[in-house]
Amino acid sequence: MRVFAQQLVRPAQYVALAGYILFLGFPLLWLVSASVKSSAELNSLVVNLLPQEWHWANYSEALARQGLVSSAGNSAMVALASTALVILIALPASYVLARLKGTIRVAGVGWILVSQVFPVILVILPLFLILRTIGLTDSLVGLTLVHTTYTMPFALWMLQGYVAAIPVDLEEAGAMDGGNRLVVLRRIVFPLLAPGVVATAMFSFVSSWNEFFFALVLLQSPENYTLPITLSTFIGGEGKVALGPLAAGSVLAAIPSIVFFSIMQKKLTGGLMAGAVKG
Amino acid sequence: MKTRGVSIAACLTITTALLASCGSGDAADDGPVTLKFQALSDQPAAIAETESIVADWNEENPDVQVEIVPAGWDGVYDKLITQFNGGAAPDIIHYEAASIVSFARDGYLADLTDLMSDERRADIPEGILDSVTVDEQLIAYPTELQSYMVFANRTLLEDAGVEIPTGDTMTWDELREIARATTDGDEVYGLGWGLSSPTAAFMSLAPGFGGTYFEGTGEDATLTVDDGEMALPELVHDMAYEDESILPVTMTQSGSEAIASFYAGQTAMTVQGSYQAANIAKDAPKDFDWVALPPLAGPEGPQQAANPQTLSVNIDSEHVEESAEFIEFFTQTEHLAALNEADALIPATTSAQEHLAEKLGDENGWDTILASGQNFVSAPYLFVDSYAQWKDTVATPAYQRYLAQETDETELADQLTNGWDEITQ
Amino acid sequence: MPSLLPILVLSVAPLLMGVLLAFTDAELVRSPDYQFVGVDNFTRLMGSSFFWDSFRIGMTWAVSVTLLQLVAALGLAQLLNSGLRLQALTRVLALIPWAMPPVVVAIMWKMIYSPNAGPLNAFLGSLGLPDDINWLADFSTALPAVIVVGVWVGMPQTTVTLLAGLQQIPDELHEAAAIDGAGAWRRFTAVTLPSLRPIVTSITSLNFIWNFNSFSLVYVLTEGGPGGRTMLPMLFTYLEAFKNRNIGYAAAMGVVLVVVVVALLAVYLRSQLRDDRFETKKKGGLS
Repeated sequence: MRVFAQQLVRPAQYVALAGYILFLGFPLLWLVSASVKSSAELNSLVVNLLPQEWHWANYSEALARQGLVSSAGNSAMVALASTALVILIALPASYVLARLKGTIRVAGVGWILVSQVFPVILVILPLFLILRTIGLTDSLVGLTLVHTTYTMPFALWMLQGYVAAIPVDLEEAGAMDGGNRLVVLRRIVFPLLAPGVVATAMFSFVSSWNEFFFALVLLQSPENYTLPITLSTFIGGEGKVALGPLAAGSVLAAIPSIVFFSIMQKKLTGGLMAGAVKG
Repeated sequence: MKTRGVSIAACLTITTALLASCGSGDAADDGPVTLKFQALSDQPAAIAETESIVADWNEENPDVQVEIVPAGWDGVYDKLITQFNGGAAPDIIHYEAASIVSFARDGYLADLTDLMSDERRADIPEGILDSVTVDEQLIAYPTELQSYMVFANRTLLEDAGVEIPTGDTMTWDELREIARATTDGDEVYGLGWGLSSPTAAFMSLAPGFGGTYFEGTGEDATLTVDDGEMALPELVHDMAYEDESILPVTMTQSGSEAIASFYAGQTAMTVQGSYQAANIAKDAPKDFDWVALPPLAGPEGPQQAANPQTLSVNIDSEHVEESAEFIEFFTQTEHLAALNEADALIPATTSAQEHLAEKLGDENGWDTILASGQNFVSAPYLFVDSYAQWKDTVATPAYQRYLAQETDETELADQLTNGWDEITQ
Repeated sequence: MPSLLPILVLSVAPLLMGVLLAFTDAELVRSPDYQFVGVDNFTRLMGSSFFWDSFRIGMTWAVSVTLLQLVAALGLAQLLNSGLRLQALTRVLALIPWAMPPVVVAIMWKMIYSPNAGPLNAFLGSLGLPDDINWLADFSTALPAVIVVGVWVGMPQTTVTLLAGLQQIPDELHEAAAIDGAGAWRRFTAVTLPSLRPIVTSITSLNFIWNFNSFSLVYVLTEGGPGGRTMLPMLFTYLEAFKNRNIGYAAAMGVVLVVVVVALLAVYLRSQLRDDRFETKKKGGLS
């Protein structure tokens, strides 16, 4: 009976996985499909996954849009730089936050929560004035700093969760084996944290990559625009949307993220950890 | 706590003032002046037209160079409010009357009354000029407009034995009659109307029924919902549920979504923004025979509320006069005509309308569309402080409930006025 | 710590200014003249029925999206962690929704939900089911429909977080439990869930905050309609701050939201952290 049940587990898992893929993937497939349809077809009542006529012009129109490519470069720069900064700062800080008790922890957790709950629109004006005073509006450095600052709370919060999930016994065992604190951190804690760090890095990359409001408000020169800002110029007044080019632009815009994900997801699991605990 | 609260607020104020002044202080005395022109455009053709006008200006005026800063419609309000409050707004600002008025009221826009040429002033119909006049100050040059139009499927009208209306205007009763005649109770409905956000349409078309909604301006405005205001919502309701001549699904869609049923022959007519004429020409099936019907007229006439796109000047700009000169240049007849042709909109000056009518004739319904350009009036809602909030949180939900038969007309009127009272208490 | 400086300047300072504005009558005008008005803004807010109605909708939205996200993502993370074929590919696929700007997500789902030109109704029709459901405009389906979009948007991040957490559980724990004769379900409840608890706590609290705070996705989907059924509270703050330019009153709304959300989270976090300590002790006793 039990063997029989176990034989059923795999197929059931695949069915469930297929369900997830359908749910997560289908809307994107529809977007891709929209990106190769003509506006006549998009504005008809015909429902087809494959276009009646392949309309690649959407892609050339999207690419001809001023600065789609260069704004992708800006987005990548800001996202990578702020991700690196966030991880560098948040990794040690989160360890402290998770392992130490007392008022610092309370203050830290308090700031993390309040900064995430308080509406950004109320923060933006003081922030804008401060950045202007130090000459960092309309600059990718300024935007990187802002993204770093606003990604930091949740990076800290998530990383401290991962630290807290490492049983203290493991550290104590390491310490008993004669390692000092740094050795314990390097040999036991950091390897165990690796997937959490990768997940947090992906997290901060994506939030910076997609961030619209700060970029909209802070960047003034077109050569500094990030991708979401450029994509938003596809949407016109009175709700006019050039659906085809917008879909094509979004598909193109997703490619760098997909590349980034493909690289990172390997690090999310697998090699890094193997043996770390046992060794 | 008390004192600190005030001092930080004061700090913020001082910083703003300080930054605003140093922000504008660094312009060079010699050498060419550079004006920043924040332009909104989504149509590639209109972007190209704007660039070419600016290039012409820059060539003719080596001392005053204009630099285009392209921005999108999506989020531009948020961008502007931060720019203004941070003292970093561009010199020349492209936007629309309904949204720019609040910036004018808060003191951010230069008064252009004395800078606009008499020639231009005489060229702009009074209703349109009024829509950019706040507290007797001219706060913007109007450039492009849209009106609500009825587009009809000629084949379906003829099949139903309906004569295609001609003439200067068409009454709402005629529209209702045609809708009834073309509804076959099965496949075809007389009318499709994208009313998912009904407030804008009801506000714009109310003047034809004598509906004003608001009286007074700014904080002191009051709302009345009476026969004139209720006439159009009730008419739509009756057409949808008594005559059953409106395709129900379209009333929950946007205009561009509702147009698909028109192409598919499920609706004989559709009410749309005038700019859709260009899209119909592009997107409708090849053998689709369509026509733009004459402008709609209510008991009071064919008036519609004007909400033009605008060009304004930042009051803190170092170069208000130069900016206004550029706008004068930008709004010359041939420039406005070319820009509006690219955007499929109606020029805000009579001469540009005529220029375009001459050039395009009756192609794609342009003659009827341009004819509706004479019927614009200024509507009070533009100048009301809490309008945006009332629209989003009170009016739109209330109209939606009414159009979905969740409430009746008494309840609708109550919800509109009570909601207003609560917001402005 | 020098790394704290940007945080102080760019986060703590603007936050404090924002909070303090709630006690003034500040407006966004060219020459502002602020007055300290004490708790006037708060008393006025207490009487605003629109705000509190939308507050209820906001709670329904945030709680359902957060819970569904957690359940769905936990399932997916388990699948992605159980050595199935094509893991790498499916993992990337599962992440792509993340790479889409919210505006694009909303426009895409509007196409899917379209009552007469959308694939969802077409699919239902091909199965012989009703094919004319007006998902986003029907008073009864609008909120559930936007909740599904909310889950879709938030699933990748929750899945990755949990997947990383699953990876972090030392194999020994599973092996020990398996040797003790625990079945799959028992191992899930006795080993996996307790080990994930701190991570589940942090991601649910964050998801809850974000969901409660979001309005742009839903606004593009429905503009708060039909009839206000999807009007989220943050929209009010936005309208008050930017459209009415009453930034003082809007800041008061922000403060109220902060107080309520932090109070709710404090209860949740306190119970979670207490369990946490308890679990650690228990585990310590077992090994």
